[in-house]
Amino acid sequence: MSLDREQKEGAELLLMGNEAIARGALEAGVRVAAGYPGTPSSEIIETLSRFSEAGKLYVEWSTNEKVAMEVAAAASFAGLRSLCVMKQNGVNVASDFLLHLTGSGTRGGMVLVTCDDPGALSSVNEGESRHFARLMEIPLLEPSDFREAKEMTRWAFTLSEAIRNVVMVRSVTRMSHASGNVVLGALPEIAGKAAFCCDGPVSDPDCGPVISTPVVAKHRLQQEKLRGATTLFEESPFNAYEGPEDPELLIITSSVCTLYSREALSLLRAEGRTGILKLGTTWPVPPALLKKRLASAKKVLIVEEVLPFLEDQVKILAAEQAHEIGIKEFYGKNDGTLPMVGELNPDLVAAAVGRILGIDPPSVPAEYREKLTALTALVPKREQTFCPGCPHRASFWGIREALQRDHRGGFVCGDIGCYAMASLFPAAGFHTAKTLHSMGSGTGIASGFGKLGPFGMEQPVLAVCGDSTFYHAAIPALINAVHHRADITFIALDNSGTAMTGFQSHPGLEVNAMGEAAPMVDIAALCRAIGAPVVVGDPFALTETRETLNRLLEEPGVKVLILKQSCALSPGKKGKKTFLVRVDETLCRGDACGCNRLCTRIFRCPGLLWNRDRKKAEIDEVICAGCGFCAGICPAGAIRNEEAAKS
Amino acid sequence: MNGHLVKDPYNIVITGVGGQGNVMASRVLSNMLVRKGFKVTIGETFGMSQRGGSVMSHIRVSPTAVWSPQIPKGTADLIVALEPIEAIRVLADYGNPTVKILVNLRAIYPVGVITGEDEYPSTTVIRETVMALAAQARFLDATDEAIRLGNPILGNIVMIGAVAGMKVLPIDRELFEAVIRDGMPAARVEANLRAFAIGEANVA
Amino acid sequence: MQERVAEPAGQRNGQGGQKELEEQVLRTGLCTGCGACVNLCPYQAIYQDRTVLLHPCDLAQGRCYDFCPRTPTDRDALRRNFQEAADCTPELGAVKGFFITRAADGNLRCRAQHGGSVTALMALALREGLIDAAVLVEEGEGLLPRSVTVTDPNEAGERGRSRLVVSPTVAEFNRIVRGDAAKIGVVATPCQAIAFAKMRALPLSESNAGIEKLRLVVGLFCGWALSWRKLAPLLKKKTDIARVIGMDIPPSRYHTLEVYTSGETIRVSLDEIDPCVREACRSCDDMTAEFSDLSVGSARLPEGWETARGWNQVIVRTKQGMDLLELARRRGVLEFREAPPGNLEKLKAASLGKKRAAERFFGRDVADEETTQAG
Repeated sequence: MSLDREQKEGAELLLMGNEAIARGALEAGVRVAAGYPGTPSSEIIETLSRFSEAGKLYVEWSTNEKVAMEVAAAASFAGLRSLCVMKQNGVNVASDFLLHLTGSGTRGGMVLVTCDDPGALSSVNEGESRHFARLMEIPLLEPSDFREAKEMTRWAFTLSEAIRNVVMVRSVTRMSHASGNVVLGALPEIAGKAAFCCDGPVSDPDCGPVISTPVVAKHRLQQEKLRGATTLFEESPFNAYEGPEDPELLIITSSVCTLYSREALSLLRAEGRTGILKLGTTWPVPPALLKKRLASAKKVLIVEEVLPFLEDQVKILAAEQAHEIGIKEFYGKNDGTLPMVGELNPDLVAAAVGRILGIDPPSVPAEYREKLTALTALVPKREQTFCPGCPHRASFWGIREALQRDHRGGFVCGDIGCYAMASLFPAAGFHTAKTLHSMGSGTGIASGFGKLGPFGMEQPVLAVCGDSTFYHAAIPALINAVHHRADITFIALDNSGTAMTGFQSHPGLEVNAMGEAAPMVDIAALCRAIGAPVVVGDPFALTETRETLNRLLEEPGVKVLILKQSCALSPGKKGKKTFLVRVDETLCRGDACGCNRLCTRIFRCPGLLWNRDRKKAEIDEVICAGCGFCAGICPAGAIRNEEAAKS
Repeated sequence: MNGHLVKDPYNIVITGVGGQGNVMASRVLSNMLVRKGFKVTIGETFGMSQRGGSVMSHIRVSPTAVWSPQIPKGTADLIVALEPIEAIRVLADYGNPTVKILVNLRAIYPVGVITGEDEYPSTTVIRETVMALAAQARFLDATDEAIRLGNPILGNIVMIGAVAGMKVLPIDRELFEAVIRDGMPAARVEANLRAFAIGEANVA
Repeated sequence: MQERVAEPAGQRNGQGGQKELEEQVLRTGLCTGCGACVNLCPYQAIYQDRTVLLHPCDLAQGRCYDFCPRTPTDRDALRRNFQEAADCTPELGAVKGFFITRAADGNLRCRAQHGGSVTALMALALREGLIDAAVLVEEGEGLLPRSVTVTDPNEAGERGRSRLVVSPTVAEFNRIVRGDAAKIGVVATPCQAIAFAKMRALPLSESNAGIEKLRLVVGLFCGWALSWRKLAPLLKKKTDIARVIGMDIPPSRYHTLEVYTSGETIRVSLDEIDPCVREACRSCDDMTAEFSDLSVGSARLPEGWETARGWNQVIVRTKQGMDLLELARRRGVLEFREAPPGNLEKLKAASLGKKRAAERFFGRDVADEETTQAG
């Protein structure tokens, strides 16, 4: 059902937004694609990896987004079409290179796809990448449905070659992770040899060295090309107006907000009174098109996620043209008509339009609403936690016990990955993890904390970091800590894959994104090479983990502990139980003094249940992953592990 | 049925808990509808879904247009709940007097219930609540049926079979078979077909 | 007077759990590290010589609180439980007899503290079958002692030197009481002896199962114990602590801690040691382990310290204690000499001094708390 090679041109398929983007790149003849996993972007590279083929399409999961962009840029310099893909945070990581790349310009079409996460559905920020397009002075495209996601990505390569610069395509979670009908186009015959022509003068855009100097001259050229793009945008089919010629209200919108706006008008039955100008090219906005539409309406509502990016541009343009198009009444983010935080939805947009037009959005009958409120209050919340059998739960259990024993108020600097849940939901990490920022920053923050001893700080400092995050951004921070003799205990939670986003490969594995054998870069060897002592342990071996940690906490400088145990959902483990775990009810002390439900109350693995009636713990055999760790923490020896039969 | 929908768009919510195969279920159902010529939009939230959280797929089905991947509040036409309290959670936001609902009665306890902090409502209470809020409600033990088939994960397919059995959508067994043969290792097709048949028979 | 230990308003025996233990004992610096709250459940542990909370327990009542020697205790009721009223003195608790003894075995004296009487008595109790397991203290890594269970009387002789750092003996008892041993003897500091007395005084119940296995409590005189976290770095500056084989405090006029290594004796002024004293010990009012069957300390003799350090003073407190001592006399395990006149009175004066200091501590402690809160 997912995209594959066998599907023919003209077939209408249900594709995820990310698959549609990948298909667009394939239809454009992309040759090199590089990215770093991050929800909601990961499926683009995953899809492309299924189409990889020596000499035709090279796909890699790079160590981080900056490297991914550099890899893609090299292909462009060599005349190939290339794609780099990342979630919004990744653009921050890559932005230093991006600034210089947009200065130097590109050759083969190069497209940057970024997937933002308004509302932070699976992120720890809702920052948006659209501002980078403005900052870097490159064109920005935003698809509003699945067909367009494919078409726009395909056209972005053409545009990139026309302006000889990177083109940015921005998706959001509700586009990337939504699915809809897409009609497949043809896949081109792939031809063209990679060669970097670089012997000419700096001024030669085809055969000179690729650098961003002379800066002012190059910058001028870049802006000229961008103006060319703006001219193209005036006629672009990605920008469209629907509605009456003289609407009472003009909605200017882009991306998935277009669908919300249409839905809102449908809910309010306000299609006849309201027009929608849907922009696919959102930086720079096409001024003539905008002027024409602004002239037709008095009231203007800008619907976008998250910050007022379009709104600011529209207002500037309206101010410049006010003498011709008259004074407008603006609604949007700045005046609070729509919230400036979180994601939008049809209901929020309908409420906003309803307020402007004086229409009450439809609602369920009051009587039903009352019944609903009364009857649905009984639903218990469903908090997120580590999966059953997750090695992170065991790691944090060991960390908790070691820190409590140590008794100096030690804490963990958290990082990005599943184990971020230790910071996000304190009970999940047994109240150990106390900071959470960007990839690798836990280690950097720890490095800083680790120098505060002379200022009186007595607390031991720990940093945790997953295997993929280690390669991404923790290495420089760890080197910093070693070089400056920071007193930290660095714990690599190595679960052998980028588990958070779906087991993408990384340099610690012996396979690459295309499924080929690849040399593994060993975390332990790397840490030893930079001068840190390394202990490798198994988080399921609680006593050793705890004792090792307590010993390391007493030692000065950087100490590395690698807790290695593959993810419970990893292909090699999922569905396979190491142990059949059972509770011996005669031994279970339940909530009596001497236990007080340690397993269900504190350890909180979803595979364990507290039977309120019998006052005993139970194992839910459907949920239990059979790791057997809980047997080791039961004070009564009531949880028993039996070796599971090997299947 | 004859390939017509009672409403345009027809709004389906498939809900459950991470790990129950919610995404798979919405994909299979939607692919069946795409094959019938409909425009389908699925909206999903699954970033952290494998970590015990609630998972919800919104499916919009229309003969002509692409609709928003988020269903407006109070406008679900059909709710398919792989987990009982998720049924009620979805009703709270998307319920209306004409909604139809299909509920798998196998509970997956939230952490708060496991820890004894929260109470999980009894099956009787869940049934009564659902019936009071839906125009039509069907309950089945899809997970138990799937365990009898040898794999609890097939519960999602039992539920899809039950949707077909409800006769609210233009889908049937042949369509299901065509869809899964297209995207699934042949070895697994048979078990899926049996799961579908059990679900279909259960509500027919 | 003796009830001045941790008396929060409105608290009575058995009215607390881990939360109250934390608030009243751990956070207030009253914890002695005796181990009474450890190995009962997964929530408390001893690490190094400190009691730590591993996870929060929300039970309103727990054995951790009941057994703790520093939670409110009715001492008179405890005394009535297993000491005879006629033996009671205000300064030293029950005194059934007062003796100067030492182990008859010279080798054992060399390996043990002072006269080696404790080691000799425990070995005897094991040999005679009065107990089948003895909880003793042995040296651990880096000056940190650990509590161990010994069943072989010959092994008892291998352990007996003091490091002046607390070892969680009650925790070790809690651990082995669930095992095979039927009759358990312990060597206990005064605080540990109080914990055992509290455990014995509680009604036998499921939660208190096994306490009837406790057959013998040999107490140790104790002026104070040292905090390992403070002592270890101090001694590291003076010697290789791996080579330390023992420590002692000569009579107070020397004002010195003696540290014995294989090659030399290091003398450290008590002024330097004083900051290492466990906070909890400054508020302790029991110098002589009043709640034991018999208690043992260093002797004072007219010949002076060099002779006296080879002997012990023993206060017998219960009939079982007396029986054991008499058995030791009959078997020739202990040598006796007459107690010099005035020794008991000097001991009473010293003990009273500690009780007064504890009282002053609580008086001052209240003021300290107030200023802390104001800050």
